[in-house]
Amino acid sequence: MEDELDEELRSHLEFQTRKHLAAGLDPKEAQRRSRVEFGAVELTKEECRDERRVNVIDNFIQDVRYAMRVLRRDPMLALTAMLTLAICIGANTTVFSLVNSIILRPLSYPQSERLYWVSERMGKDQLELSHAPDYYSLREQNKVFEDVAAYDPSTVNWTSAEKAEQLDSAQVAPSFFNVLSSQPLMGRYLARAEEGPKASPVVVLSYSFWRSRMGSDPNIVGKSITLDSLQRTVIGVMPQGFDYPKGTQVWVPLPFDDASQRPRLISRPMWIVNMVARLRPNISQQQLDTDLDRMAIAIRREYPKEFTAVGFLDSMNILARPLRRQMQGDLRPALLVLSGAVALVLLIACANLANLLLARATARERELAVRMALGSGRARIVRQVLTESLALAVPGGLAGILMAALAIAYLNASKPFVLQSYPPISLDISTLTFTFTLTFVTGLVFGIAPAFAAAGISIQDALKSASHMQSGGKRATTLRHVLVVAELGLSLVLLIGAGLLARSFIALARTDLGFSAQNLLTLRVNLVNSRYATVESRAQFYDDLLGRILRLPMVQRAAVATDIPLSGERHWGNLRFQVVGRSPLPLAQRPTADTTVVSGDFFRTLGIPLRNGRTFDEQDSTKAADSIVINEAFAKKILPGEDPIGRYISSRKGSPDWRIVGVVGTIRSSDLGADPPPLIYRCTCQGNSFLSRMGIFVKTTGDARQAVRAIEEEVSATDRNTPVFDVKTMEDRLNDSLASQEFQLVLIGTFASIAIILAAVGVYGVMSYLVTLRTREIGIRVAMGARLEHVLRLVLGESFALTGVAIAAGLFGAWALSRYLKSLLYGVTALDGFTFAIMPLGLAGIAIAASLVPALRASRIDPITALREE
Amino acid sequence: MTSQSRLDLLQGTLDLLILRTLQTGPMHGWAISERIQQISREVLQVNQGSLYPALHRLEHQGWIKAEWGISELGRRARFYQLTASGRKQLEVETDNWARLAGAIGRVLEEA
Repeated sequence: MEDELDEELRSHLEFQTRKHLAAGLDPKEAQRRSRVEFGAVELTKEECRDERRVNVIDNFIQDVRYAMRVLRRDPMLALTAMLTLAICIGANTTVFSLVNSIILRPLSYPQSERLYWVSERMGKDQLELSHAPDYYSLREQNKVFEDVAAYDPSTVNWTSAEKAEQLDSAQVAPSFFNVLSSQPLMGRYLARAEEGPKASPVVVLSYSFWRSRMGSDPNIVGKSITLDSLQRTVIGVMPQGFDYPKGTQVWVPLPFDDASQRPRLISRPMWIVNMVARLRPNISQQQLDTDLDRMAIAIRREYPKEFTAVGFLDSMNILARPLRRQMQGDLRPALLVLSGAVALVLLIACANLANLLLARATARERELAVRMALGSGRARIVRQVLTESLALAVPGGLAGILMAALAIAYLNASKPFVLQSYPPISLDISTLTFTFTLTFVTGLVFGIAPAFAAAGISIQDALKSASHMQSGGKRATTLRHVLVVAELGLSLVLLIGAGLLARSFIALARTDLGFSAQNLLTLRVNLVNSRYATVESRAQFYDDLLGRILRLPMVQRAAVATDIPLSGERHWGNLRFQVVGRSPLPLAQRPTADTTVVSGDFFRTLGIPLRNGRTFDEQDSTKAADSIVINEAFAKKILPGEDPIGRYISSRKGSPDWRIVGVVGTIRSSDLGADPPPLIYRCTCQGNSFLSRMGIFVKTTGDARQAVRAIEEEVSATDRNTPVFDVKTMEDRLNDSLASQEFQLVLIGTFASIAIILAAVGVYGVMSYLVTLRTREIGIRVAMGARLEHVLRLVLGESFALTGVAIAAGLFGAWALSRYLKSLLYGVTALDGFTFAIMPLGLAGIAIAASLVPALRASRIDPITALREE
Repeated sequence: MTSQSRLDLLQGTLDLLILRTLQTGPMHGWAISERIQQISREVLQVNQGSLYPALHRLEHQGWIKAEWGISELGRRARFYQLTASGRKQLEVETDNWARLAGAIGRVLEEA
C-alpha cells in the first residue's frame, strides 16, 4: 500500500517532467519545476491515506513501532516508568481484589441483594439485640419481607467412634433455608413445624462437613450422628457454597417456638436470636424503613409494661441492613481508606511519569517540529505521544497484574488474621477489567500533558531557535511545577495518614492489659450438657482437670473462668443491680456491670494485682456464697470516694445480696481499644456457677506452646468425650487483637513509602531540569562573581517555594480527609498536632535532599563551558 | 491542517470532473489532470495535492477502481476507471450540477 502510493506519485512526477522536457527545458530544470508544481509530496500522501481511512490502524501500528523505537532509545526511562507503573498498578489491583472479594462480590445465594440482616436495637447505645418473641411478631405482621428466619449460632460436641470434636453449629428456624433460597444437595431441610422443644432430633450437614468427616457417604441421609450426646438423624446435606452463618458445620432446629416464647413476659427468660430476611421484590428502602418503624411501634405497644421495666419503651427500634454489608464486618472502613490511599499513590505515579515524559517532550521538541513540518498534523502528534505513554502503560499494567497475583497468592497462603473470616481473595474477571481500564486511563492521564505540550509547539519557534534549551516554554515549566507540587502534596496526605495509624498502633500496643500475657496458655472445653447436668458433676470435672494440669512439670498455676480476655467471646451478661443502703432506683436507672465467674487462683494465674481487701479464699464456699470481687473501674464508677469493702449489692428480689470483699486491677477484657466496663467476679468455689463451657488458663515456666500436647492429654484423660478447642497463648490473642491495626498500618506505610520515593524522584527531576535550563544564566552569574551559596540558594530557593506550596495543599487535603480515618484510630485524634507538625518537616527534608544533588551540580558549573555550550 | 479548507471548496466539483473525465476510458492521475486542463482551456488548474486524495477517496467509495498498467510512454502507472456505481454517481452529480448551474444562472439574470 505504502509503496504503491509512492510509486503512483512518482509516476506523476515523471510524466510532468517529460512534459517539461518536451517543451524544451533542460532535464534539471524540468525535474525541479515539476517538483515545485507538485508541492508537498508527504502531505499529499498523508491525505491520500486519510481518504482511504486505513490510516487509523496503519497509523496505530506505525505509532506503536515508532514508540518502541523511541523507548528503546532511552531504556532507563522506559524501565523506570514501567517499574513505577507495575508497582502502582500492582498495588491498586491487590487492594481492588481485596475490596472486590470482601465488599463488592455478591453473596452466593439467589437474588442475594434482597437478603437483609434484621435486628432490634435498644437503649441509648442502640445495642443490636433481638428477642425471640418479637421475631415471631415481626415474621407474622410485617408487610415487606417474603419471609424472616431466626437463628442462633452456637457450638456442639460431636462424638464419633474415634474422637470428640467441637463443631460450629446453628440452631435455625424452619424458614431459614427458604429465606436463603437454597435447595439441599441431597435429602431435605427442616420442614414447617420442625422447631421448638418437641421437634424431632434431626440435623442438616454442611457440604464440607459431609465431605471431610462423613467421607462423602452417598447414603448419609437417614443415618444418625451424636451431637451433645443426643442422637440426631441426618435429614439432608446442603450444597457447597451454602455457608451461613459463616463456618457452620451442622444446622439443627431451634429449641423454642412461638408457643414457648410469646407473649413477652418479665418472668420468662427470652431467647436472644439473630434474624435474616428476604425482602419482597420491588420494595424500596423507604418502604422497608417505614414498615420496620411501624412494626417497632406495634411491638412496643403490645408489651408496654415489659419494655418500660427495662427502660427501652422509647428506644426500641428495628433495623435492616443488607446481609452482605453485615458480613463484611469491621474491615469495610479500613478497606475504603486503603483504596483511597492506593489511588493516591497511583495519582502520584501519574504526575511523576507525566513529568518524566514532559522532560523528554521538551528534549524532542525539534524532532516533533520536524515531523510537523513534514506534514504530520497536530492531532497525529498528540496521538503519537499518547501511543508512547500507552506503550509504557500496557507492559507496566501486565507486570502489575503479575505482581498483584503474587501478592494475592501470598495473602491467601499466609492468611493474616484479619482475613481469616473472609473467603479467599481471587483475581477474577471484574478485577482484571478494573486493572485494564486503570492501565489505559493511567496511560492517558500521564500522557495527556506531554502530548498537549508537544502539540503546542510552534513549528517556527522550535526550528528557528538556535538553542533547544530556551524553547522549553514557560507553559511546560509551569506544568512541571504544578505536577511536582501535586506529587508532594499527595505524598504528605499519605504520610500524615500513615503517621496517624502508626501513632494509633503504638498507643494500642502499649495499652496496659492489666494482667501478664507471658507464658499463659488459654483454651476452652465444652462439657456435653446431658452428662454434666448438675453443677456438682461439672465442678467435679474441672477440679479433676485442674488437679491433673497442676501436676504437669512445667505448669506453675492454673485456673478456669467463664471468659477468656481478648477472645472476642463473652458468656456472662450484663447485670443490673442496686447498691444496698442507697435509695432504690427504677430498673432502667440502675447501674450495670459485667459479671464473670472465675476459680480461686484466677487472679494469681493472670497476675492481676489486688488493690484492696482480699481475693477468694477458703472462707468462700458453697456455704458462704455471697462474696464478690470487683475491678477498679467498678469502684471508681459506681462507688467513687467510698470504701467498697464490705458494701453489699443486690440484683434480684429473693436472691441473697452480694458482699464486696476485694478490689482488683482493671483488665482489658473484651477489646483492646474499648474502655473496660465495671466487672464483678464471682467464684466457682461458691458452687453455683460452673458452666459447661469454660476457659482454662495455664501459667507455664517456659514457652506456653510446649504445654499444649500434655494439657490436651490431661483433658482427654479426665473425659475422652470432651474436646479441647480455641487453644492459643495469651500473647497470640494479643497479637490477633492488634492484627487488623497492624495490617492497615503495614499497607498504608508501604503506600506512603512508595509515594515519598516517587515524589523525591519528581523533585529531583524538576530541579535537574531547572539547573540544565539555567546553565547559561548560572554561568554568567558565576562569571560575574556569584558565590557558592548564591547558586545553591537559587536552586534550593525554588525547591523551598514548591515544597511550601505543596505542604499547604497537603495539610489542607489531610485535614479534609481526616474524618474518614477517624473510625480507624485509637488513642490519637484524626487531627493529631504531632503528626501534622512532624510529617511536613519530614517531607520538606526529603524534598530538599532530593534537590541537593542538582543544586551542587549547579554550583560546579564552569562559566566558560556554560557559555560556550550555547 | 491549513490545506483542508481548500480541499473542501473544491471537493464536490473536482469529484464530478474526475468522474466525467474517466467516462471516456481508463486514465492515470497525471493524464486526468492534463485532460481537465486541456478541455477547460487551461482555466481549471488541478492541484496535485487535491487530485490524488480525491482519486483515493473516490476509489474508497467504490465509484472508480484502479489497476496498474503501462502508459503510452511505456512507464508503469496506476490507471483509474469508472465502476457501475461510479457511472450512476456521475449521472446524479451531473444532474445536480446542471440544476445548480441553472439555478445560479437564473438568479444572476433575473434577480
